[in-house]
Amino acid sequence: MKNTGYILSLMFLLASLTLSAGGGIKLPEPDKITFDNGMTVFLLEDHELPIVNFNLLLPGAGTAFEDRQYEGLSDLITYMLLKGTKTMSADQISEELDFMGATLDGNVTEEYALFRGYCLSEHLDKLIGIAADSLINPAFKEDEFKQEIPRRIDRIATIKDSPFQAAQLYFQKAYFGDHPMGNLAVGNEESFKRMSIDIIKTHYKKYYRPDTSILAIVGNFDSKKLIKLLKNTLGKWEKPASPAPKLELPPLPKIEGKKFVVIDKPDATQTYFVMGAPGFRNGDPVLPSYRVANTLFGGRFTSWMSTELRIKRGLTYNTRSSYSMWKNGGVVSAASYTQNKNIALMLDITFDLLKKAHNEGFVDTEVESARNYIMGQFPPTLERAASKTRAYVELSFYNLGFDYYNKVLSAIEKVTKTQADEAAKNFLPLDNYILVLVGKLEQIKPLIGKFGTFIERKIADPGF
Amino acid sequence: MKGKSLLSVLLLFSIGFFLRADLKKEDIKVFKLDNGLKILLLEDHDIPNIAYYTFFRVGSRNERNGITGVSHFIEHMMFNGTEKVGPGELDRKMEFLGGANNAYTSKEMTAYTDWFPTPVLEEIVKIEADRMQGATFDPQVLESERNVIAEERRVSTDNNNDSLLDEQVVASAITAHPYHWDVIGWMSDILNWKRDDIMNYYNTYYAPNNAVLVVVGDFNTEEMMKLVREYYSPIKPGTPPPPVTTTEPEQLGAKRVEIRKEAQAPSFLMVYHAPKFADPDYFSMSILETVLLGGESSRLYKRLVRGEQLALEVGGGMDQNIDPYLFYFRIQPGVDSDLDKIEKVITEELEKVKKEGITDKELQKAVNNVKSNFYNTLQTIAGKANLIGNAELLAGDYSAMFTLVDSYQKVTAKMVQDAANKYFTDKNKTVGKLIPEGGAK
Repeated sequence: MKNTGYILSLMFLLASLTLSAGGGIKLPEPDKITFDNGMTVFLLEDHELPIVNFNLLLPGAGTAFEDRQYEGLSDLITYMLLKGTKTMSADQISEELDFMGATLDGNVTEEYALFRGYCLSEHLDKLIGIAADSLINPAFKEDEFKQEIPRRIDRIATIKDSPFQAAQLYFQKAYFGDHPMGNLAVGNEESFKRMSIDIIKTHYKKYYRPDTSILAIVGNFDSKKLIKLLKNTLGKWEKPASPAPKLELPPLPKIEGKKFVVIDKPDATQTYFVMGAPGFRNGDPVLPSYRVANTLFGGRFTSWMSTELRIKRGLTYNTRSSYSMWKNGGVVSAASYTQNKNIALMLDITFDLLKKAHNEGFVDTEVESARNYIMGQFPPTLERAASKTRAYVELSFYNLGFDYYNKVLSAIEKVTKTQADEAAKNFLPLDNYILVLVGKLEQIKPLIGKFGTFIERKIADPGF
Repeated sequence: MKGKSLLSVLLLFSIGFFLRADLKKEDIKVFKLDNGLKILLLEDHDIPNIAYYTFFRVGSRNERNGITGVSHFIEHMMFNGTEKVGPGELDRKMEFLGGANNAYTSKEMTAYTDWFPTPVLEEIVKIEADRMQGATFDPQVLESERNVIAEERRVSTDNNNDSLLDEQVVASAITAHPYHWDVIGWMSDILNWKRDDIMNYYNTYYAPNNAVLVVVGDFNTEEMMKLVREYYSPIKPGTPPPPVTTTEPEQLGAKRVEIRKEAQAPSFLMVYHAPKFADPDYFSMSILETVLLGGESSRLYKRLVRGEQLALEVGGGMDQNIDPYLFYFRIQPGVDSDLDKIEKVITEELEKVKKEGITDKELQKAVNNVKSNFYNTLQTIAGKANLIGNAELLAGDYSAMFTLVDSYQKVTAKMVQDAANKYFTDKNKTVGKLIPEGGAK
């Protein structure tokens, strides 16, 4: 494959979906309904293919609202939801889903959980039935819980055998420290041992509730019939008497100075780096300018990072810069890897590029190219039903409006060199950032000392 | 890039089966230039974009010792300059035009994939026609790209335990056929390819008569063909490439591979020789893939993950291959799981299929999954382009995809049972284990 850099990172995927806009293509306006229990529902009929996709967003059911001692709890809950209800066993649920060729799963971000479904339209009634039963009546069975805990602990070991993936998690931890945004969905070896069914039930009760949930369904259905079905299933989910929890997080950490962390993976023949600095919140007006700057810095194949590290020098197969945005802030980051012996060279070049962004900035034709690229690549990002349902629930959660993508795109069309330079200067770091390396310490230690003092850890140490 | 995913395997089969109003054979317009280039066009005006896919009938199965991985290397070099376009210019130009591209190489084919807004179509046709035979392989760029490939191998194989085990197990199971090595190639070959060997290989396989162009999206077929004729017609056809004649000798007994290295968790892979794509048995075996490994209700997930709790994940199955390849059982064991027990459970489940067959419900489940995956792919112009191209290259003729339905529907529980008895034999298997040792743990 020519390149996998732009599809490897989940962080990047989320960013690109949330912020692309334009190309003459618009996110269609869906119908909106609010159920008596408070659930917000968006529906869009699309009869081109006999399929349906839905996304249900549950605010607060993400990792940042876990108690740190139970890190990994929110992701475990999305798993447990599908492991039995009051009327169906886990095996019955998987039999039904697999037989239909349908998918139903939960996953978590920092701020929310997403419960997602896909099926042939002929199976929609059944899928909605299972989804509603799983959300409203989970059995949270002790034996299912006891089975899963050791698997989750073992899975952490398998992640540590994939150094590129592990580097991202070590970075998140190093960056956020004790801040709740540092909670990892994969948890840690100790947190899982502290959990119990009661802890799961308490957390579920607090964050799984219809009055804050946002549902979007796109595909081949008849709205009238579907609304009736939804009212009889998810519409029956009882709204709790207690008020919805406040979803407030402490301000994101300020990064002052440089912090270096190195993880020793003695069998690694490459060293993987991730570095990051404070970014901006979702909905920030700087997005159009920064999107252009990021595209040019490390967001596409001919970016500065890719040109200098891969194309000119053959130091790596992937480079990437990206950004993540949340309600109260964001992070900008860059990542790549190379043979252990070349890591200092790779970092020197990356730091030089950051200086170039501050001292020289971009040239006009680059900015024009980035604008064209973003516009031209936008329409395919909304082709899938799943892209649309995800857009609806996320835009709704962040209160951005369904014309947001097109607003951003219109702004991108007008981004000037000065604006792109300014955005780069404001966010691409020179002196204040976190840098995490995963590599063979014995080999890289003499090479990286010149950058500063590294906190040293071992890959086999518990947690990230 | 590794072999194709299970998803695309299933998709191909389903096409004829489930095509209704969505995509008919007649919607795909077929053309052939005098130089042998075949063109498959599908208009789709949902978005103002085009997916432009060029497939060459060359992959690692066409390589030999000394130049393993060269198909994939050429895939990279196709972005690094022609007589008309300097190194790196293709990407700069395409991105400036609002386009993006990528490419992949498999055992069977090499595909170049462009996605761009309709107004820049002619520029893209020019670029693609130019590099079909015009790549220059600049010696300096070649050395730099060699390092990129070495890094790709380090990240995807050498520092990835599952891939490392995969490479060793396959090399042990397949001894004579070029499927013996992985698409990425052996590191010593990557570091030693000679420019002349690469050029010879390129000149042999990169010709219009060895390529298929598939375009899906917002264009007018007549206008498209005008452009295609203008830019591709001058390209001269090549001598037809030599056929791959090596066949894999019959395996005469179970083989075992063991890797011991520093790791946090073990890996497990078990393979059996399996039928090629064109073999009627392929259909029966592909159904077994769903029965044994598809989802949490599959027989092996139930036993290994939920029942005995020996594994975290199960996966595998077959690719669509031109020559006979392998059926995979790829298991992620728990950290302290007994790998011999995993092998025993798989063997027991296979014996059960061999003895008792599968249920009608399991047959239907496989069909439903094919259908569901198929429509999932049809949502995008890129998905359609890839599907049409793969059908054309792997089934021999794209229109064969519309008759596959008959073969698929003819599969009975008895046929599946017979296939299991034929292929899942002890003599036919290779078992691989990666056992963590030493180091930090």
